[in-house]
Amino acid sequence: MKIKLTSVMVNDQEKALKFYTEILGFVKKTEIPMGEHKWLTVVSKEEQDGVELVLEPLGFAPAKIYQRELFNAGIPATAFNVDDINKEYERLTSLGVTFSMKPTQMGPVTLAVFDDTCGNNLQIFQV
Amino acid sequence: MTFYHQQVQYLQQNLYPKDYLLTQIIRSKKFIDNNYANNINLDDIADKAFFSKFHFIRLFKRYYGVTPHQYLIRVRVAGAKKLLQSGMSISDVCYEIGFESVPSFTKLFKTITGTTPLACQLKSAIKSNFE
Repeated sequence: MKIKLTSVMVNDQEKALKFYTEILGFVKKTEIPMGEHKWLTVVSKEEQDGVELVLEPLGFAPAKIYQRELFNAGIPATAFNVDDINKEYERLTSLGVTFSMKPTQMGPVTLAVFDDTCGNNLQIFQV
Repeated sequence: MTFYHQQVQYLQQNLYPKDYLLTQIIRSKKFIDNNYANNINLDDIADKAFFSKFHFIRLFKRYYGVTPHQYLIRVRVAGAKKLLQSGMSISDVCYEIGFESVPSFTKLFKTITGTTPLACQLKSAIKSNFE
């Protein structure tokens, strides 16, 4: 058994693809039409054979409540590792990304949280 | 301030109250990151960080979840993986990255990555042939 996929629920797949590729810098790996929605995955530019992130359509009503409450509490849906969090914070801010938590130290890691514009908070962290 | 941000601040204040300890441990980890291919002596690192060896190991494990030695092995194996994928021979990688013998390198590599250095190298070569 291998871990090949992880996912975030997004409220608009097209918008999410644009944000995750053009703003975050990920690369589209798979796009398969499946009726109203699609099987859509992105990967890290540096690890294109690594774990795929599924941008999963949010079609289940109770999940929308769960997502909204997490968002309102500022809790990230997932987290991405970066080499230099301050540099990444500056880069994303200059692209108009909204942060609910600027780079903040918690023990040996530094964390920051921003809005993915598709219903989620995302965290970047530097160890 | 969000609930999450408050929780992060709470943890920072309650779990990591002593800034100087944290700074020294982070510095030690960075030293390992930058010098993993050299013959690093953990006693030296502990001395530089003004800790006794046992205090240093205990704190490092508390902050990073692994001992400095386990961390050093992980960093070395990650470095070895990159060199293997670049096509360097297994024995060259072994000595380049600071391991003392090919069998011990192979054993640790398998324990940490779940695959042998040879399998890692073959997988990478096959992949590059198809690209």
